[in-house]
Amino acid sequence: MRILIVEDEPDLLRSLAQALREEGYAVDTANNGEDGLFNGESYDYDAIVLDVMLPGLDGWELLKRLRKTKKTPVLMLTARDQSRDRVRGLDTGADDYVVKPFDLSELFARLRALIRRSANQTTNVIEIGNVKIDTAARNVYRADKPVELTAREYALVEFLALHRGEVVTRTQLYEHLFDENDNTLSNLLDVHVSNVRKKLGGDFITTRRGHGYCIE
Amino acid sequence: MKIFKSIKWRLQLWYGLILVLVLAGFGFTAYQLEWGRQMRRIDDELHRRVNLLAGALRPPPRRPAPDRPMPDGFPEERPKPFPPREFHLPPQAAELFDPNDPNDFYFVIDSRSGDELARSTNAPARETMWDRRKANTMPRLSADTFHPVSVQVLGKFRQMQETLPSGETIYVGCLATPALKELHLSALWLMVTGGIILFLGVSGGGWLVGRALRPIDNISNAAMKISAGDLSQRINTAETESELGRLAAVLNSTFARLETAFAQQRQFTADAAHELRTPVTVMLTQTQTALNRERNAAEYRETLEACQRASQRMRKLIESLLELARLDAGQETLKRSKFDLSQTARDCVELVRPLAVARGIKIHCDLQPVEAHGDAERLAQVITNLLANAVQYNKDNGEVRVSAKEQDSMILLAVSDTGPGISSEDLPHVFDRFYRADSSRSSGQTGLGLAISKAIVEAHGGTIEVASQPGTGTTFTVVLPAT
Repeated sequence: MRILIVEDEPDLLRSLAQALREEGYAVDTANNGEDGLFNGESYDYDAIVLDVMLPGLDGWELLKRLRKTKKTPVLMLTARDQSRDRVRGLDTGADDYVVKPFDLSELFARLRALIRRSANQTTNVIEIGNVKIDTAARNVYRADKPVELTAREYALVEFLALHRGEVVTRTQLYEHLFDENDNTLSNLLDVHVSNVRKKLGGDFITTRRGHGYCIE
Repeated sequence: MKIFKSIKWRLQLWYGLILVLVLAGFGFTAYQLEWGRQMRRIDDELHRRVNLLAGALRPPPRRPAPDRPMPDGFPEERPKPFPPREFHLPPQAAELFDPNDPNDFYFVIDSRSGDELARSTNAPARETMWDRRKANTMPRLSADTFHPVSVQVLGKFRQMQETLPSGETIYVGCLATPALKELHLSALWLMVTGGIILFLGVSGGGWLVGRALRPIDNISNAAMKISAGDLSQRINTAETESELGRLAAVLNSTFARLETAFAQQRQFTADAAHELRTPVTVMLTQTQTALNRERNAAEYRETLEACQRASQRMRKLIESLLELARLDAGQETLKRSKFDLSQTARDCVELVRPLAVARGIKIHCDLQPVEAHGDAERLAQVITNLLANAVQYNKDNGEVRVSAKEQDSMILLAVSDTGPGISSEDLPHVFDRFYRADSSRSSGQTGLGLAISKAIVEAHGGTIEVASQPGTGTTFTVVLPAT
């Protein structure tokens, strides 16, 4: 899952990015509206965390322009908690709203819900054969036994599971699992796929040669 | 009693009372006049009859004087000057006395010696007719006679008596009851009319007072709603010209100012809370991230540093808020003294210079010695704030000019920069609390600097103004009264 954070307060931006990376997300950051809009328009992020108050282009304007081309789920961060502001945010095209100061756990839960909804998934448990994925606890079970996955491996499984039945290209996977700081030229993806197959069964992920990967 | 405390009822009571007094006075006078008129009418009638009867009194037929002289030695009988006369009721007088009607006029004529000469049949008995002790004698000078005429009220009779020069006394009287009845009737009419007038007056007055006092009800209703917390209430002022209308207008403008002040206060509190949210968020996020798992010393250090920055920012904000609150409450006692403002400005320039040097900005001073009377520390705060802004919102390698001079017994201190300037829509708001032309908070400024500067300058009785040319620069001018 790849997330963009647009936030002008440097300390907040850094700690948010760190916390989300530790949650297994690939995180890109932008500290002003223009950069945020450029990033948002360039990639299909799984979600964007957007601060309302930004130098230059503010959050409202960024969202308005982004919505012309992208349907990326957007979670707004704001210091204003008046319902007028919330209504404006939701009307402009924001998908959710978090008022500062917030708890990280709440922010994470809302992000998960946002991503789940955008994949038309209504519960946080996905069952595929004898494999069960709990997207809230970020745990994977095979025949009701917990399976240890690295954060990246989990992200791969979750992304494919959320796009169940679709063929996901390698480029898509690179875009959603790695952020701009990762070296995507390596064959890291193949390593992750083969590790997941070892842990969850050889036929859990099928390869469509020349197209990509898929979970049936 | 609540009802007597109400202005409306007290007013009504008072003019009701006044109306009663006026009506009573009027009624009494009218009754008196009517009574006098009736009595005069009766007296005129009585007098006419007295005159008539007096004219009917004829001397007795003249007897020839004895031609033989009285024998000497006998005292000569002196002829009486007025021989006893006879009385015959003349026909025209008979019309005026109906002897068969006990209510009509009666007469009695006494001779000089006191014997009754004549009486009409309807005359009352003598003892009731004349009782000197009881009689209420009212001497009356007749217009055509010179002898005394008196009128008495004898029970229900009114009687006039006249003693003629010849010695006879004529009594003419009549029953006063019909006249009194008439009087009573008119008194009743007066009372009924008075009652109606009183009723109309009090009810009409009540309506008028109610009408006049309705604006007061409006005012108190609006004031009640306002005191209950609804500051948007206003008094409905349909008639703005009346005294109450003017009062309502004054109150309305007071309410409007109150509402604005409250709204500003609310906005200020909301803004202050809002400004505190970001540093709190930073601290929460930093600490929660750090506590998620074990970290190494460098990571903890980084977290602590971020928290420190956030707390410093909160401290700065809280200090600014307290300073503003004190300035607002007027508690900020200025430590006034006489000092050279140009020297203070020079100190401030030295304070800011490192910031300017770091960005290649030159500070030009044109500071003439000016003596100011005020709080040197506070004014230094203002100058430092203006200089810091001029450096921060300048372009790299730009210029800052600071000047001080005295002109027309005013001290003028100006700080100008060569920055991008302030747009015309932001310009009127630069002194507003928490207003930033740029909506970001990353600058580390509280957004209160200029608001505090303005409050300080105004506490000194001065003004602060801003002029800006987008693209060229901005000039802040502080005007203080010279000593």
